[in-house]
Amino acid sequence: MAITVKKVDRNVTMTLWERSYIPEMTRGMIITMKHFVVNLAGLALEVVGGKRHRKIMTIYYPEENPVIPPAYRGRPALVRAENGQEKCVACGLCEVACPPRCISIVGGERENGERYPVSYTLDGSRCIFCGLCEEACPKEAIVMSHDWKNLCEHDRSKMIYDKETLLYPERNLKKRLNVIREKYFNAKLYHKPSEKD
Amino acid sequence: MGIAEMIETIVKIGFIIGLTIGFFAPMLAWVERKQSAVMQDRIGANRADFFGFTVIGLLHSLADAIKLIFKEDFIPRGAERALHTLAPVIAVIPSLIAFAVIPFGGKYTLWGHEVNLVIADLDVGVLYVFAISSLATYGVVIAGWASNNNWSLLGGLRASAQMFSYEVAMGLTVIGLIMFYQSLSMVDIVAKQDNFFHWGIIWHWPAFVLFLACAVAENKRVPFDAPEAEAELVAGYFTEYSGMKFVMFWTAEFIEMVTIAGLCVALFFGGHHVPFITDAELAGGFSFLGPNVSNLVAMLIGVGVFIFKLVALLILQMTIRWTMPRFRYDQIMKLGWKMILPLSLTWIFIVGVGILTGVMPSP
Amino acid sequence: MTDSSRDYDFYVESHTEPMVINMGPSHPATHGTVKFLLGLDGETIKDIDVEIGYLHRGFEKECEAQLWNGVFPYTDRLDYTASALNNIGYALAVEKLIGIEVPERCKYIRVIIGELARMSGHYTNLGASALELGALTAFIYFVEARELVWDIIESVCGARLTHNYVRIGGVISDLPDGFRENVTSVFRTNRGLWADFNKLLTKNRIFLDRMRDTGAISSDDAIEWGFTGPCLRACGVGYDVRKANPYLIYDQLDFEIPVGETGDNFDRYLVRMEELNQSMRIVEQCLERIPGGPINVDNPQWRQPSKDDIFTEMESMIFHFKNAIEGVKVPAGEAYQAVEGANGEVGFYLVSNGGGKPVKCRVRPPCFPMTSALPLIIKGSLLADLIPTFDMINLIGGECDR
Repeated sequence: MAITVKKVDRNVTMTLWERSYIPEMTRGMIITMKHFVVNLAGLALEVVGGKRHRKIMTIYYPEENPVIPPAYRGRPALVRAENGQEKCVACGLCEVACPPRCISIVGGERENGERYPVSYTLDGSRCIFCGLCEEACPKEAIVMSHDWKNLCEHDRSKMIYDKETLLYPERNLKKRLNVIREKYFNAKLYHKPSEKD
Repeated sequence: MGIAEMIETIVKIGFIIGLTIGFFAPMLAWVERKQSAVMQDRIGANRADFFGFTVIGLLHSLADAIKLIFKEDFIPRGAERALHTLAPVIAVIPSLIAFAVIPFGGKYTLWGHEVNLVIADLDVGVLYVFAISSLATYGVVIAGWASNNNWSLLGGLRASAQMFSYEVAMGLTVIGLIMFYQSLSMVDIVAKQDNFFHWGIIWHWPAFVLFLACAVAENKRVPFDAPEAEAELVAGYFTEYSGMKFVMFWTAEFIEMVTIAGLCVALFFGGHHVPFITDAELAGGFSFLGPNVSNLVAMLIGVGVFIFKLVALLILQMTIRWTMPRFRYDQIMKLGWKMILPLSLTWIFIVGVGILTGVMPSP
Repeated sequence: MTDSSRDYDFYVESHTEPMVINMGPSHPATHGTVKFLLGLDGETIKDIDVEIGYLHRGFEKECEAQLWNGVFPYTDRLDYTASALNNIGYALAVEKLIGIEVPERCKYIRVIIGELARMSGHYTNLGASALELGALTAFIYFVEARELVWDIIESVCGARLTHNYVRIGGVISDLPDGFRENVTSVFRTNRGLWADFNKLLTKNRIFLDRMRDTGAISSDDAIEWGFTGPCLRACGVGYDVRKANPYLIYDQLDFEIPVGETGDNFDRYLVRMEELNQSMRIVEQCLERIPGGPINVDNPQWRQPSKDDIFTEMESMIFHFKNAIEGVKVPAGEAYQAVEGANGEVGFYLVSNGGGKPVKCRVRPPCFPMTSALPLIIKGSLLADLIPTFDMINLIGGECDR
């Protein structure tokens, strides 16, 4: 197959008038001032009308929060089932799958013979938020939550999360669990013809 | 000099210093942040607050001042201590005293006392401005040399070469204007622009473009900021400055911006004059208030118009700064010597011919 | 006193020597952490020594300790401005070693995400070079465009910078609902920002003077030094892995390869600007043609089965445990697969001994050869020319130093 090549136009010709810097400067200033006026009007409208009506990209962070899509990978969280117990069975798959080896589990057995993690430690200073633990988990016990705030500490020892910190009630993680069920590495998911995307 | 003149001069100096250091320097810092932010689809600095009031980021100038005052004044080892300390002072003073000859209003008679709204009505005002602005070079060169840093040295070298060459061109750009108004006194030049059709910008707009380019180059702002290009020379001549010394360089830049704008207003935009209205007509419009009060009102309007024009030119400078990329150092020199200098010489010739043939009627 | 009869050597007579100056590793222009040891004669660069390795993390050794699938997060950190492209390169190399082919829909999704990542890489590079030349506003416009692209990527794979999206034999997730509308609206905004950027810089004489005829390299030299990607195409060589050795579905797509003439910075800039448009074209074509179907190979040996299967079927559960603990058993052998990264040819050379971990994972970083040619390009030009040249070479520390 022949390679279709497109030559870029590097010989930008300039008339004498254009070589005098003035028209380019004017044009550039018109562009920047256009952005300025549009944004200023948007900001003024926001102050007056209260409705967010601006082209400004940035947000006032602590007051406003970015919109987090359902697929977002935040801090890993352990799922606490409806009966109040963790879903985790301490099989150790996440421990193996974790590339930076930040998970360590000590497993134990309840009286009824169910396995459970006696301790589950996740070193937040080593976690790279890759989501491989979630992928490896056969029980949907560890998922990437939408936790992204206040994860930084001055002291690394404070970033070692124990089981109680990581446990979240199942209903709080419903959104993410749905994503896993519906989209996430579902080999047999056939695309419905009605959906167009 | 009577006691009244003394008081008058002190008030005027106070007004100018208050206007430049007290008002424009912090305001320009704010405008530079906010205007660029809005231009770039951002919000800009708005976090410094006083009991929850942010005043759309205005308090950042205050916060900066407090922070920089308490910052360590660092002098690198091997630096020339005395010169290192002296350099920012030398940089900041000329930009401030150049304002002495720029009239920010006209002549008004108030209660039998004639007030001339300029600190020093020098007969050679234009020459004085150029003489003073060339002094600013020393601050920069000394800063570059005394820091004992290679980047500073390179910045100082670039700055000295650039400022010297653009001084020549800048001086020549206004020669045509001086020929046109037949005076070297700033007050005279402004007084002769009372008719809108005698404004410098009408007859001398090419000179204005050249003058503005030279002035921005003198001030070392983008696109002529090769001496302090942060991507090339870290920060150029003030790499090794911190705390209040850094603030002085920074203030000098802002004051010089105001001075440039003031010069442009006085030379090209009719100073305090409102278009199509002379001072006498303006005062006459308020004659029902009595002669003294009407003169006072005319004076206030004049100063207001001057400041309005000043702000417009400052915003123009700001917009240029945030729009343009930076020249390369040798291109700056080429532009100065090979483009602006011949063009300004040509312009002098054209003005001369125009005045001789009567095409350009001298007011 | 100089004797006029013998040659007058300025340097000897005036007792001057070049000014030796350290540019970097913490200089504002040397992003990506690199150090130049410059010998300056005035402003002219007489001598330059490029020191790399400040960002060395032992990528290749680290991979040997990971399972085949566990390498993906590390490939993200090679060219972090376009991390999905590295994912794709590694996945294709492993699939070549195994000898499997991913389903059609997966190929389309990979191309879409890859091209979006390429766009983000080019936005970063072009914006950063505008920034270093002082045009801060233009930089922010492209950062804005990049943020929008990242928003799309985030909605698909859950991360903005380190995508970790591709897996052996598939991808982690299907495209979300409303993806196409999202892309359309973002591309509309981005085309506007592209036009603004273009108007601000391309015909601006200050920018032209800085970029044109600086940092040029001839096409012969470029090929000899191992240039690839936009920097090679700027020299007029129409080499692009997507066309020369088509992978995924690039042979079915209609797009053009922009090439320059002289290989200077301005050509590199124009090539990248045009590639942004071509990438948008590719993504739009893919979105039109994308078929339905599975996104992963239906073979639990290579790609882990879905969660539903793991919960319900014993075999799937066993495969899943085996794969997760021992890793995918890639057959013994070696393979090299190159893809067109944002910066040039990203090649992965993999060796397997049949175990669950790679024995060797070697990366061919595109910016390493280009950085090594920097002294050749820059010697004799001005200090200020180093800035656009270095920007257009686009050294990414994570990729160059690995």
